[in-house]
Amino acid sequence: MWTIFRREMAHYFTSPVSYLIAAAFYVLMGLYFNNDLTVSITVRAADPASVPLFLSFVMVFFAPLLTMRLIAEENREGTVELLLTAPVSDTAIVVGKFLSAWVFYSLLLAGTLVYPLVLVSLQIFPDLGIALSAYIGIWLYGGAALAVGVVFSAITDSQVMAAFLSMSFLLLMWLGDLAGNIVASFDLADLLRKLSLQGHYSTSFAVGLFRAEDVAYFAGIIVVALFITIRLLEMRRWR
Amino acid sequence: MIEVSSLSKQYGTHLALDAVSFSAKQGEILGLLGPNGAGKTTTMRILTGYMPPSDGKAVVAGHDVSEESFEVRQKVGYLPERVPLYPEMTVEGYVTFWAKLRSVKKTKQAVEIALEKVDLIPRRKSLVRTLSKGLKQRLGLAQALVHDPQVLILDEPTIGIDPQQIIEIREQIRNLAQAHTVLFSTHILSEAEQICDRVVILQRGKLVAYGTPEALRKQLYPNDYLYVEIDAPQRDKQKVENLLSSLTGVDEITRLAGGFTIRAKKDADIRGKLVEKIVSAGYGLRELRPVAMTLEDIFLEIVGK
Repeated sequence: MWTIFRREMAHYFTSPVSYLIAAAFYVLMGLYFNNDLTVSITVRAADPASVPLFLSFVMVFFAPLLTMRLIAEENREGTVELLLTAPVSDTAIVVGKFLSAWVFYSLLLAGTLVYPLVLVSLQIFPDLGIALSAYIGIWLYGGAALAVGVVFSAITDSQVMAAFLSMSFLLLMWLGDLAGNIVASFDLADLLRKLSLQGHYSTSFAVGLFRAEDVAYFAGIIVVALFITIRLLEMRRWR
Repeated sequence: MIEVSSLSKQYGTHLALDAVSFSAKQGEILGLLGPNGAGKTTTMRILTGYMPPSDGKAVVAGHDVSEESFEVRQKVGYLPERVPLYPEMTVEGYVTFWAKLRSVKKTKQAVEIALEKVDLIPRRKSLVRTLSKGLKQRLGLAQALVHDPQVLILDEPTIGIDPQQIIEIREQIRNLAQAHTVLFSTHILSEAEQICDRVVILQRGKLVAYGTPEALRKQLYPNDYLYVEIDAPQRDKQKVENLLSSLTGVDEITRLAGGFTIRAKKDADIRGKLVEKIVSAGYGLRELRPVAMTLEDIFLEIVGK
């Protein structure tokens, strides 16, 4: 598993694409943070969760970009045949690949920790508790989004298709709240909100609320998504 | 080393492999021949543990592929038809990756040896994407043997590379057979003839022939063929032909532009008598040689049926 992990990690750090993704990521985060900072001068206090909150939306598009390659490329290049005939389990392949994406994302995320530090250094004393909870939340949230991306990377040999499908799916999951707002049935609305990504982040982690059910939700998505991916790889053997 | 008994594989309703049996001993090179779609790749994929057979049994390096897939995968080196490469890695990094994945101890040393075997040491720091097709093929081979497997399975290892490189790859396969059992597929028959100890010919999923190229030839062409060219005036051609057909043991004579092909009866060595007769008739003998049936002929004979 670690051999796979290391290879993928090395790929993130040697591929120009991941540097482009990182650059775009930081430009977006920087712009948003600056905007929030400007607003905080006149309108309201700076929100320590502003960047992670923004990220919860941005990850719908960034997670697929980070994961689209992982298995789709192996499918396209035919390396998957060799990988599946190597003495490694399908689980090790999938988990190794997923972890590399999550670690790379974590590093990107760690870079944004500079924003709370800026707030502190400007003597705007943000609620660091909220910041901490927002960051832990977005870290888990990102893991879940990446795991979904891994599933779609396994079902196609085209990276574009993998990215498109996972973006669409994540967007649907993100919009679950909106769907919840328009259905008449209270129970159904509640269920939709419970299933949506936003519902487990913007109203809990992002406001400093650390609930077990939200942790379980994101962890659950990761486990289910990876399980599906492993089965998808296994299916290839039986075709 | 490889023991295959009535192996079958079904894709939906299509029977890709129909009760095929063969075996290969330690240090043997076994050629898998057949037209496209005959089931060569399917056979190899089953033997490498990529997919399970629908029916039958395959034992590779002492382990059943269906029950002990992990052990099999540990002991088999595989080069798929499309050489699977990671273009962004270095030559050395690529081989190291596969060595580690197969839990090779002393990775560095093993990689060194594998690269040495395929003559890629000078390019060890190059990126895989910059290699030529022939070098990529060799790199694929290095990957397949880095863990010193007992069995090497190579799917059309000489396809799409230039003649010089083909000769090199063949040379390497022959060298490898000393320490490994090699199963390789090809549709270039002269190739199989040059390097295989035994061949398996598949057609539409069925095994149609199996044995040494020599034995297959004997089985299909029990007769000896001779080619003779006789120094005689053009107008005597018919006379010469009559002379030849009067020899005992001659089955059939075909007149060619320059000389004749003679099909002799089984085990009738007519050469001595032939020379005697021609010389005593006052003609000269320009050429007399046996005509060997190539695997190509055998193949066409079997597959054409």
